[in-house]
Amino acid sequence: MTAVVLALVWLMGIAAVRLMMPAPLRWSLQNAIILSAGAGLGIGIASSLYFVVLALAGPNLVALASVEGAVLVVLVAAGLIVKPRLDPLDFASGPATPGYLTVLFAAAAVIAVIAAIGAYSLKPHGEWDAWSIWNLRARFLFRAGEFWKDAFSSQIAWSHPDYPLLVPAIVAMCWTLAGAETTVAPGIVAFIFTFAAAGTLIATVGILRGKMQSYLAGILLLGSTSFIVIGADQYADVPLSFFILGSLAVLCLEDRNPGDLRLSMLAGLIAGLAAWTKNEGLLFVAALVVARLVALFFYADRSAMGRRVGGIVAGLISPLAVVAFFKLRFAPPNDLLSGPGKQVMAHLFDFGRWVTVIEGFLIALLRVGGFLIPIVLLLALYWYLLRFKVEPGLRVSVATVGFALALMLAGDFSVYVLFPNDVAWQVNTSVERILLQVWPAALLAFFLAVNVPQLVGETQVVHKGKAKERVKRQK
Amino acid sequence: MLRAAPVQTGGSHYFVKLNCLARHRFAVIALAVIALGSAVWQLLDLLGALNRGTDFGVPAFESRFDQFRPTIKPHAVYGYFSDNPPNDPSSLSEYYLTQYTLVPAIIKPDTNEDLVVMNFHSERPDQAAIRAANLMPVQTFGHGVLLCRHPNR
Repeated sequence: MTAVVLALVWLMGIAAVRLMMPAPLRWSLQNAIILSAGAGLGIGIASSLYFVVLALAGPNLVALASVEGAVLVVLVAAGLIVKPRLDPLDFASGPATPGYLTVLFAAAAVIAVIAAIGAYSLKPHGEWDAWSIWNLRARFLFRAGEFWKDAFSSQIAWSHPDYPLLVPAIVAMCWTLAGAETTVAPGIVAFIFTFAAAGTLIATVGILRGKMQSYLAGILLLGSTSFIVIGADQYADVPLSFFILGSLAVLCLEDRNPGDLRLSMLAGLIAGLAAWTKNEGLLFVAALVVARLVALFFYADRSAMGRRVGGIVAGLISPLAVVAFFKLRFAPPNDLLSGPGKQVMAHLFDFGRWVTVIEGFLIALLRVGGFLIPIVLLLALYWYLLRFKVEPGLRVSVATVGFALALMLAGDFSVYVLFPNDVAWQVNTSVERILLQVWPAALLAFFLAVNVPQLVGETQVVHKGKAKERVKRQK
Repeated sequence: MLRAAPVQTGGSHYFVKLNCLARHRFAVIALAVIALGSAVWQLLDLLGALNRGTDFGVPAFESRFDQFRPTIKPHAVYGYFSDNPPNDPSSLSEYYLTQYTLVPAIIKPDTNEDLVVMNFHSERPDQAAIRAANLMPVQTFGHGVLLCRHPNR
């Protein structure tokens, strides 16, 4: 039953994304994006609805089923009625993709799926944060009946009751509609976010840079062992990484068709759901809007800047309204940000904190993805061998993704320096996951910017003289 | 001179020299091999852990509270007491696990509540420890789990 509920949630998301970027009902990369992004967006919409219904009508199964069902029917009807574009987005043209790369890509996908299932089987309740924060909250929402607000009690402040509710709410919604509490629900939700992120990355890079780049991006993300395992461990960092990637990916697609405000709104909607996933999502929303303004100011037609950013803001409204409703009405103050201003100033001028945080970020950078060797060094070598060549049509996209991620990391860095009392503990326990939140989007930026490799060549030897003759003949 | 096949990128054609071809192949294969190697390594680790199995973890801890859980009522608040040494790293995690297990009750990490959940690691609870905490057993649920209350309240 849980699987049926989540399938309907997925259908809701597919319909919502299709409404914003309609494509004919046949295989295309555009439909791959609709399927991937729709999986996460559906969870975000259903989770928001669950919380609003719970807050307004209490734990009422009929009200919940009616609202979720009505939204599903309306979205599916609208998604079917909307007129698709005639030329759906597909792989960009590029050099031939060798067969072995296709095999390696398929192998990476199969291994990632097996690893995710294996990691879930090992820890069906997830890792520490999963059961002590996200699933704990889901249990309160599901088990406590009319006392569901106990989930935000200050008596369990250690469980961070101010954290947003996307993950706990979708899990509690599945349990409520399925009528049973199982570890399958959080397990499937985690699986969906992990592979929806991979699908979104692969399809977006495929549309913008071609099949070979998309396969390489996919191999790298699916081979990121820490991304797969932390996803299966039911941490909210992977869902957050999905929303960060998804909003940036949709903006990159919007850059191909700058007049299409629906894509700006979709990007805003997905970014807003990042704020409904984790507090860092609020930071991302601010970073995204500023980054988009800067990128459009420097690399695009400035006359359309207001309209395009306005589209993002319009998309942000509904998810941010849900976040504001939760934060203002139910959530206690955040433990990190509730320290006195004097203490924050003292932290700012504490040289040791800066060293601790810089050291933590550098070590995490070398470990990002959980590869056998530091992947950033390998990517640096890859860049040296292939070089960056940002095509003119992709400059706004690369600038948007680059600025957004840089601002996001700068914000995270500032939070570490200024707020926690035990900065070493905070860095040690979370900085690797902070980098993982931006990892899929960083891969998007990298593979948009780096040259497409040339792997298939002619085998005949051409002597210099003959080559000159050939050039003359061609002239 | 060796030449590679013509490449079409963004509508323009160009030739890539063989040294470029080799560089590109090396870069791509290195990236793919490291990614796949890491994934396989991780998979072997996971499969090994699955084969070994584990007696400890959330399900095992939860099963100790199987008889206690049905008695829990929403909005109830319990204290918590354990025979773990205070500085034992597992002390905090077991308290968190107890809260996770006993939702929708709220479990506070002290013995100031009227009712206190006792989490012992032997079938025979340490009576001296219970008396020292000024508590009185109310009900035993097996696996070292029992409910106590303050005698004067």
